[in-house]
Amino acid sequence: MITNPIGVLALSKREIVRFLSVASQTVFPPLMASLLFMYIFGVAIGSRIDFSATGLSYLGFIVPGLMTMHLISSAYENTTSSLFIARWHNHIQEVLLSPLSYFEMVLGLLAGGVARGVIVCLGVYGVSWLFTALPVQHPFLLLFFIVTISVIFSCAGMMGALWAEDFNMLSVWSIYVIVPLVLMGGVFHPMTMLPEAVRHISRFNPMHYLVNGMRYSVTGVSDSPLLVCALISLALALGTFFATVYMFRVGYKLRT
Amino acid sequence: MRDSERAISIKGLTKYYGKLQALDNISLDIKRGDFFGFLGPNGAGKTTTINVLTGLSNFQKGEVKVFGYDTTREYTRTRRLIGLCAQEFNFDPFLTIHQLLAYQAGYFGIPPREAAQRSDELLERFQLIEKRNVKHRALSGGMKKRLLMCRALIHDPEILILDEPTAGCDLELKFLIWDYLAQLNKEGKTIFLTTHYMEEAEKLCKTIGIINHGRIVRIGDRQTLLKDKSLEAVFMEVTGLE
Repeated sequence: MITNPIGVLALSKREIVRFLSVASQTVFPPLMASLLFMYIFGVAIGSRIDFSATGLSYLGFIVPGLMTMHLISSAYENTTSSLFIARWHNHIQEVLLSPLSYFEMVLGLLAGGVARGVIVCLGVYGVSWLFTALPVQHPFLLLFFIVTISVIFSCAGMMGALWAEDFNMLSVWSIYVIVPLVLMGGVFHPMTMLPEAVRHISRFNPMHYLVNGMRYSVTGVSDSPLLVCALISLALALGTFFATVYMFRVGYKLRT
Repeated sequence: MRDSERAISIKGLTKYYGKLQALDNISLDIKRGDFFGFLGPNGAGKTTTINVLTGLSNFQKGEVKVFGYDTTREYTRTRRLIGLCAQEFNFDPFLTIHQLLAYQAGYFGIPPREAAQRSDELLERFQLIEKRNVKHRALSGGMKKRLLMCRALIHDPEILILDEPTAGCDLELKFLIWDYLAQLNKEGKTIFLTTHYMEEAEKLCKTIGIINHGRIVRIGDRQTLLKDKSLEAVFMEVTGLE
């Protein structure tokens, strides 16, 4: 399906260089935020929480949650800002006029989001070693979840960037949908801590399965069956990817 | 004419923006190696036609082919054959001029080393080589025009489409662009040029088409079209402008 590999690599390189050249704004802030979360919630407060029922320390519990949270926000922000700015300045035409297929265009733009998500996610994991030794229990599963989750939110970011007409609209999905769902998805708490009614509602929150898939990969502990988490993650990755390719194919807000 | 001899073939092209009809059943054949001038008042449909040709606009009816390849079904082939020099300076503000051209070449499948070489050749040719490591915002208007040309030519396209390339240029730059376009055409490139300057079309173009209200109202080779009249007179006559 890739007939122009040099083209895809060129676009991927451009997207990756773009965020790396401003790493102080794109890579280091989530690492700093994680450091503070881990210290305040994990060490200062978490050491006073009895979490023995889960088989983990509270710090060990929130590390995979923080990895997921920053993986999601980094992947989403990268493609959103890159594509929206390209539309805003209209230099998206450089890509649209090229012989890249729509599939290849999405692949190239995706590379930046996935690379940023992966770097930040692994960076957060690295930071956690300052506080606790947390060896990864299932590395291949972790790789699977990191890749699928970064694909989901890189594609969601592209869809958001195509939908948005101005900078205000650009942040709507992130502020009002993604961040609340991620936080309610179990970054800082297990399902068992929630009231019965909220627990049932949480079962319909897809972020819950993504967070728990990551948590199982790192710690071997999860609130939900692993297979369900993996299938939801894979289905969402494929669904958002092909939906984005479709938007490029029909030229949604790209062609007049 | 064989399909491979038709650089551009448009049949029954109709395009709407909402309820506004921008192109009304236009048909057009441009042969390989032609220098085609596309004239018309503002809003007549020149840029829309270009956007359809390059794939920047969808259309409702008709068929558009480039060297026999359909621009919708075989877009990856047709886009390789076309270089577009647009009206606006739509460059990525974060890239240097050299990076901008190198990435653009990359999208067209040109390996990095060759891309760098082509980029430098074009920058040299358009007298921009000293600016290769600056961002486009540091360039004057004339330099940006030349950069647009470099970007359009980076993949050595068969067809060069120029949307008012000399608008706002000083005389020196205008003559530089004219000379360069004439040379490219002599080398075999097909050129599709829109302009408001009659003198430019008369001087450069072998074939001229005039569009008004989304319809092609006159088309033909320059000699036949002009006969004993100036292009300006023909333009006024067919567009109804005084």
